[in-house]
Amino acid sequence: MSFSQFKKLTLALAAGVVGLTALFASAEEYPSRPVTIVVPYGAGGTTDISARKLAAMAEPLIGQPIVVENRPGGSGTNAMRSVAAAKPDGYTLIATTSSPLFVTPALRPVGYDPVKDFVPILNYSGPFHGVLVKADSPYQNINELIEGAKSGSTLTYGTAGAMGGAHLAFTSVSRETGADLQHVPFDGGAAATAAVLGGHVNISLVPAYRDLVQDSQLRLLAVLDGTRDPDFPDVPTLKESGYDVEFPSVVGVVAPAGTDPAIVSKLEQVFTQVAASDEYKAFMAKLNQPVRIMTGEELGETIARNLETYRALAKEMGQSK
Amino acid sequence: MLLDAFLALLDIWVLVAAVFGIVVGIVIGAIPGLGPTMAIALLIPVTFSMAPIPAITLLLGVYQGAIFGGSISAILLNVPGTPSSAATAIDGYAMARKGQGGKALRIALYASVFGNIFSCLALMMLAQPLASMALSFGPAEMTTLLLFALAVIILFGGGAKLDAAIMVLIGICAGIIGLDPIAGTPRFTFNNFALENGFQLIPVLVGLFAMSEVFLQLFNRPKASAGAQEVPELLPTKVGLAEMWRMRTTMFLSSVIGTFIGILPGIGSTVPAFMSYSLARSRSRSRDPSSFGKGAAEGVAAPEAANNAVTGGALIPTLALGIPGDAVTAVILGAFMLQGLAPGPFLFRDYGVEVYAIFEALLLSSIPCIIFGLLLFRVAVHVIRIPPRHLFPAITILALLGAFSVNNSMVDVWVMLGAGIVGFLLRRSGFPLPPLLIGLILGKSLEQSLRQALLTSGGSLEIFVASPIAAGFLVTIALCVIAAAVFHLRTRNKSEKSATGNV
Repeated sequence: MSFSQFKKLTLALAAGVVGLTALFASAEEYPSRPVTIVVPYGAGGTTDISARKLAAMAEPLIGQPIVVENRPGGSGTNAMRSVAAAKPDGYTLIATTSSPLFVTPALRPVGYDPVKDFVPILNYSGPFHGVLVKADSPYQNINELIEGAKSGSTLTYGTAGAMGGAHLAFTSVSRETGADLQHVPFDGGAAATAAVLGGHVNISLVPAYRDLVQDSQLRLLAVLDGTRDPDFPDVPTLKESGYDVEFPSVVGVVAPAGTDPAIVSKLEQVFTQVAASDEYKAFMAKLNQPVRIMTGEELGETIARNLETYRALAKEMGQSK
Repeated sequence: MLLDAFLALLDIWVLVAAVFGIVVGIVIGAIPGLGPTMAIALLIPVTFSMAPIPAITLLLGVYQGAIFGGSISAILLNVPGTPSSAATAIDGYAMARKGQGGKALRIALYASVFGNIFSCLALMMLAQPLASMALSFGPAEMTTLLLFALAVIILFGGGAKLDAAIMVLIGICAGIIGLDPIAGTPRFTFNNFALENGFQLIPVLVGLFAMSEVFLQLFNRPKASAGAQEVPELLPTKVGLAEMWRMRTTMFLSSVIGTFIGILPGIGSTVPAFMSYSLARSRSRSRDPSSFGKGAAEGVAAPEAANNAVTGGALIPTLALGIPGDAVTAVILGAFMLQGLAPGPFLFRDYGVEVYAIFEALLLSSIPCIIFGLLLFRVAVHVIRIPPRHLFPAITILALLGAFSVNNSMVDVWVMLGAGIVGFLLRRSGFPLPPLLIGLILGKSLEQSLRQALLTSGGSLEIFVASPIAAGFLVTIALCVIAAAVFHLRTRNKSEKSATGNV
């Protein structure tokens, strides 16, 4: 424990030194006081831990402490709402994910507009979501699965929760192909994984499947994201398999709309440098999370595009208000 | 492997971590509103730069310590520090009022340690088979298990069964508020975003048990002046080995219940604590039926053994499959990953030495846990002599802080105060609170599992009899109802006979 204190002390010293030089070197005064990054989920989860590491590594680069604050609740929408209302001065940011960025807002009023109320800074992660079946399932690939669901038998699929991105994506597949797919929502991805392992549902659409697939307990048929999972380069995306749908999983930093563009670009540069570093990649590998860097602009496009898709889909399903 | 693991423990930092974890855990657990989840989440950054074995030992020590710590405030103040110690409060507090606070604490400590060791051994020896057993519990099996749990609480929890049933139903109804678990649409939230998560357990618990106690004291005040409040004397507190040995079956069965329910996802440690309490109560019928609720030693030992046994059980699917069942184990899963020990099918194969070292450290943590627990008791028992006018304002502040800290939300504070008033009214009118808490905890899971089961079966009820586990639970529920009814009739006949005999 004394070692960790020592480490903290050196970090603080380093931060102080770099902070001083930054103060003189940069014409910009930002940041002149600690920056807060809100995490919309509880402490100790992967979003929280990855954001804390990102913050800790960015501190010496911006020369000010970065405080990570957990504001859980409402599937992430509570924190989004409070950050949307925060002063756009670059001192309040949020490290957030797909669900409060473009899934939940497409379904019901959440009290903020993900496109108008925020300015994206960068995307740095996003767990791949897979289409998984039990290893003894007869379906060897996604097309066989869909064919199976078209030939009279209902296949059930579990997801991490009602009206999540995975649910909407598969609803779209079922509509396009006429496959008889019955959704069964669970309380979190872990419960949905357990359900497919136990044979209580035929399919699960969940992240964090790597070890169970490598141990031949589950079979990965496709990924819901726009790109392939680097851990399983042979497994196609849904799009590549001929289904025009994707659920891109993003984890990124956004600031309240109206934040000075110079501050935004400075933060983008700093966080990108951290996220691209080998140390950060190694850290994320331990958490079984990928590092997926997108510029703020790309993240903004992803959010806007998917918000539209999900709104249309939700309207079709009659869930939108 | 076990020897290698043991050698890995011979490191001063492991000892420091174990002691520190246990101490922090006990203290945090004893404070109403603060629980193991928050303690572990706060300590994870501290463990970043530590070696894997001490880091995880520290966090798991906090987990075990906090579950036990909750019983201290439950026994001494009638204010459960964690939801799982609400069952301990029933007889623990009654013992404390009789001056046996020290004895109750010792029984709780020994029973907790027993539960920990039992479940830790189960984790070490049977993790793989038990994890596969957990997988065979799908929605249909969970539905019937939850019904069984509710039946046990209602039928054997003590008091009027009708009252308990009403309380359970109110709890289940309160669980309707929030997002629909299947359709995802808000229910009874009145467009209030903060209510979308429903009532949070901690604010409701703190309100029902802690705030209502404050209100009760507030309204009881006029009859006695502050100084004249009778202070219970402190009787000698030795608990002999013989006394603990007498309760061996109770502790064993409670530990089995705790471990088993811990393995299953999402139920937590409160329900097994109450189930064990109810079971101990119904088993003791022949010997000393009336002592329960008035300070029965077994009424303390049973829930404490059970809620601590949950810790080892909950770690089984978390570590063997990488599937955490609740918030605490999800945070622990993250901690393992950060240390490079990714839980899942490869954990035991790739990191056997580390994992067994951690388990052995957990077993050995019982020693500092007992030493520190006994030391703490010397101080803690005096809490009971703090005059209410000093004690209850402090409890109020802790309750407000605890409720706020769950989500940093004022709504939780209002929920806590509202639950306090409801709890006060219910206690004044003689309704039991535990079934209300259990109804709230299980209501949402019950609804979700029932609807999931019907979704997977295409709406057919056959799924509940097709699965042998589910059918088994249904039969058990039926037997319990019959047994309770027969017993009820028999005691009524007896009392009628004795009544006529007297005339």
